[in-house]
Amino acid sequence: MLLPFFTWLGNTTIAVTIRDSVWIYALDQALHLLCLAIFAGAVLIVDLRLLGRGMRDRPVSQVTRDAQPWMVWGLIGLTATGIPQLMSNSIKEYYSGYFWVKMGILLVAFIYMFSIRNRVAMADEGRVAPIRSKLVGFVSIVLWAGVAITARLIGLLS
Amino acid sequence: MTPLRSLFEWVDKFPTSIAIREGAVAFPLLLTIHVVSMCLFAGLVIMMDLRLLGVGNLRTPFSQVQRRLFPWQLAGITMNAITGLILVYGQPMRYYSNIFFWVKTIMMILAGANMMAFHNSTYHSIAKWDSAATLPFWAKMAAVVSLVLWAGVIMSGRLIAYNWFNPV
Repeated sequence: MLLPFFTWLGNTTIAVTIRDSVWIYALDQALHLLCLAIFAGAVLIVDLRLLGRGMRDRPVSQVTRDAQPWMVWGLIGLTATGIPQLMSNSIKEYYSGYFWVKMGILLVAFIYMFSIRNRVAMADEGRVAPIRSKLVGFVSIVLWAGVAITARLIGLLS
Repeated sequence: MTPLRSLFEWVDKFPTSIAIREGAVAFPLLLTIHVVSMCLFAGLVIMMDLRLLGVGNLRTPFSQVQRRLFPWQLAGITMNAITGLILVYGQPMRYYSNIFFWVKTIMMILAGANMMAFHNSTYHSIAKWDSAATLPFWAKMAAVVSLVLWAGVIMSGRLIAYNWFNPV
């Protein structure tokens, strides 16, 4: 069903330009990884705090508020560097099982982050049971690790 | 032949090195763990450096950010070092002849030197600026150098996959 769309993506001027260039794709991958590090740092500092580790002298909501802008910038950078990779490689991605698994987990992780995790992380001190906040942090780490692992496997195993 | 090249060529002939390079599982497995542990290490180093630069995590004193994140950074870099060393051990000649591998290696050494220089000088006066939003020039400088170098390490690490400048 989506194959015509992916075919169209792969034939756009941007996609062709990237494929014809020796270095644009490589540089884009390198920047994607850098954005991942920024994003992962901002996510982990909060998730570790939810687990009662890391920055535990500070309230969760404060750590979350401080990390928020970097999380958002990381996400913007990941999207901006991810879309050109998808465009120039659209047919390979379409037929890659890992790509679809990654996008599935990504969708779940994204919704989870801005709903359940955000509500728990921004709650006032003492209003969330420790076991609940630990579970929320753990699930977040598992989801984002799943995104990173399946993403890496698109390139390695597809 | 340089001693460095002989070392790489010597390792290249080890049966265990050959086994890693000829196995189908080792490379993707090691590289995936390498990326995930990089997120733990570099991600939390970036968070710490942003605080030192005075642009992020400002509600927490620097020494607290540093102390609380350190065990996790250490866990991350330990996994990175182990998986990275095995990757090189498995394909020494591939890395030896790759310019990005050496750029990455040099940048890691410089990042380590920057860290040590900061701890042995600017960090001594931490009590004076721990909670300040405006940090001393040399503290900010250490943060910028660290951010630039680790960004370079991550990017050149990714570019090792490309062998544009290989001599052969």
